[in-house]
Amino acid sequence: MVPTSYYILLSAALFTIGVLGVLVRRNAIVLFMSVELMLNAANLALVAFARERLGVDGQVLVFFVITVAAAEVAVGLALLVAIFRTKQTADVDEVSTLKG
Amino acid sequence: MASLDLLIWLIPALPLLGFLLNAFLIRSERPAGLVASAMVVASFVVTLVATFGLAGLPAEERRIMSVAWQWISIGSFQVPFGIMLDPLTAVMALLVTGVGGLIHIYSIGYMHGDQRVVRYFAYLNLFITMMLLLVMGNNLLVLFLGWEGVGLCSFLLIGHWFERRVAGEAAVKAFVVNRIGDAAFILGMLAVFNYFGTLNFYPVEAGGVSQPGFLERSIEIMGQTVGPSWQPVGVATLITFLLLIGATGKSAQLPLFVWLPDAMAGPTPVSALIHAATMVTAGVYMMARNEAIFQASLTTQGWVMWIGALTALIAGTAALAQWDIKRVLAYSTVSQLGFMVAACGMGAYVAAIFHLLTHGLFKALLFLAAGSVIHGTNDTQDMRRMGGLRTAMPTTFWSFAIGAAALAGIVPLAGFWSKDEILTHALTGNHWPQLFILFLTSLLTALYMGRQVALIFFGQQRDPSYHAHESGRVMTVPLIVLAVGAVVGGIINLPWLHWLSDWLFPVLGEEASSFNLFMAALATAGSVGMGYLGWWIYDRAAPRVKVGGKDPAYRVTGDIWDGMEEAWYLDAAYSRVVVQPFRRLAGFLARVFDPQGIDGLVMGVARLFGWIGAGVRRLQSGYVRTYALVFTVGVLLVLGFILVATR
Repeated sequence: MVPTSYYILLSAALFTIGVLGVLVRRNAIVLFMSVELMLNAANLALVAFARERLGVDGQVLVFFVITVAAAEVAVGLALLVAIFRTKQTADVDEVSTLKG
Repeated sequence: MASLDLLIWLIPALPLLGFLLNAFLIRSERPAGLVASAMVVASFVVTLVATFGLAGLPAEERRIMSVAWQWISIGSFQVPFGIMLDPLTAVMALLVTGVGGLIHIYSIGYMHGDQRVVRYFAYLNLFITMMLLLVMGNNLLVLFLGWEGVGLCSFLLIGHWFERRVAGEAAVKAFVVNRIGDAAFILGMLAVFNYFGTLNFYPVEAGGVSQPGFLERSIEIMGQTVGPSWQPVGVATLITFLLLIGATGKSAQLPLFVWLPDAMAGPTPVSALIHAATMVTAGVYMMARNEAIFQASLTTQGWVMWIGALTALIAGTAALAQWDIKRVLAYSTVSQLGFMVAACGMGAYVAAIFHLLTHGLFKALLFLAAGSVIHGTNDTQDMRRMGGLRTAMPTTFWSFAIGAAALAGIVPLAGFWSKDEILTHALTGNHWPQLFILFLTSLLTALYMGRQVALIFFGQQRDPSYHAHESGRVMTVPLIVLAVGAVVGGIINLPWLHWLSDWLFPVLGEEASSFNLFMAALATAGSVGMGYLGWWIYDRAAPRVKVGGKDPAYRVTGDIWDGMEEAWYLDAAYSRVVVQPFRRLAGFLARVFDPQGIDGLVMGVARLFGWIGAGVRRLQSGYVRTYALVFTVGVLLVLGFILVATR
């Protein structure tokens, strides 16, 4: 059986990739993908810990996360479409109208 | 008599109704004057009826109290809103409504064609209401309500022609100077409440509870003192001295009389009503009403006497040197009020009230006659531009002459009897310095009235630019009525009849005064002589009086005359000592402290926040990724802290 620590390491790696993706990429769609990556890294960690502890709490929580992620994507993509319609671009650095 | 309880409410209610009608409904001149006059005359009739009702009661029961409601009820601070009618109030109310009614009628003629005549009559009615509240109030606070009310009406009416800068300034001056006295009056009231626990003059039944009165308990404060142990002040002295300062403000005594001569900027009937016959006598009335406490303090009585006597002399000398027809009368009013106050100080309250009543008649007469002169000479007030008006306005001349003779104290006119009573009291009380001053003042009075009559009515008209004419019937009839009053007014307290003394005995408890033939003869001889002298000098010197020129007496007296004309520069002294420093302080506050201190603080706070904001807004770059970076770093720091802290 694969040790839990492997799963955790993979999850951490995926999460870090997601964070870096959010921080360095400018394309809004890639940003979204990075956010999804972080969510799924968390899911992976949750499932791994659930198996370790022989409980279903973590597994249940993952379903919630997936649901929330779906909702978030729906809202986020709608925003993205709206931004694209007004700015003709998906570059988030262009969306800085509210700067002080 | 239960019906009298309700009847006396009509006395102030009728003028109040007139005020409300004039203020809110009436828009044209004729009904305004008629309604206002009718209300005051009706009030006079009611007062007369109530006074007869009062006279029908046994002497010791002559005090009708009526409480409308409990005005203020805070713990032990109980003030009923009530009025009363007793002999003292009755004579005051008769004077106010009687003379007031005549002046209202006169005003119909005098103010004809004025652009704000409805407002004028409304204020005049309000004044009568307030004056009646003042004399009828059954406690100090109602008295004070009237006291402030008449002050307000005085302000409004002096400033009736507010387009004239002088009138506006005079109104403000009257108001501000009175405020000094009023502040002392409030302190006096507080002291009364502190030591007696009530403001009622006499015991009152209100709401089924009987409340005590303080006048009958003045014995309680005898011997009590307040203040530091090295300089104790008698409680009676404290209270009465504060009330005295209040009286010097309202009754135009030293050191606060300066507002009254300036108040002549108002319409002449207002001067007659407010600044001669009624309002300025409020201080004398107040002292007579609180006679029980005043008598408890010899110290204050000394002050009262001296203030009265000195005011009489100073104002008398000032009256001698005035050119303005109304300012002569104004200073003369101050002088005569000094007589009354001095009489109060001697404990001769009956004499003071007697002089108050006769003075109300003949001074109103003099002012109205002066108004008739002003009216008939196309608004001329400078006596240098008059002269020889005797033939053009005979009724005015005769009534003015009667008033002048009454004021000068020529036997047997009203002023003689009342002034003589005051002088006799000074004699019998051995107040020699005051007697001397007052006697001198009565000689001066005759002198300046002789001068004024000669300057206005004798000789030739010095300024031919106007055509003098007699005033209409609506103005001359009140003059004639008042002239009759000035002739026979003395009858109310002739030394052999002393009706007024007997009438006021239940209130003031003062025996009728004796009659000193020597004093009376001396005073009469002096008055006649000085009056004739004044007339003779100015009748002969008339050709030398030039428009805008100096008085003929200036050649003899020199700079002293200037001093008299300026009332011994008291105004200038106040200007130098109080007004100028105050202006400078206000100027400093307005030009330096406000822009730099207050504004500096306010603007400084605003600028500080602006500055902080300018620094902080750079953080809001608008780049989502920057925010995310900050957020991530923050999360890492928190996580790191948790790791380190939970180790």
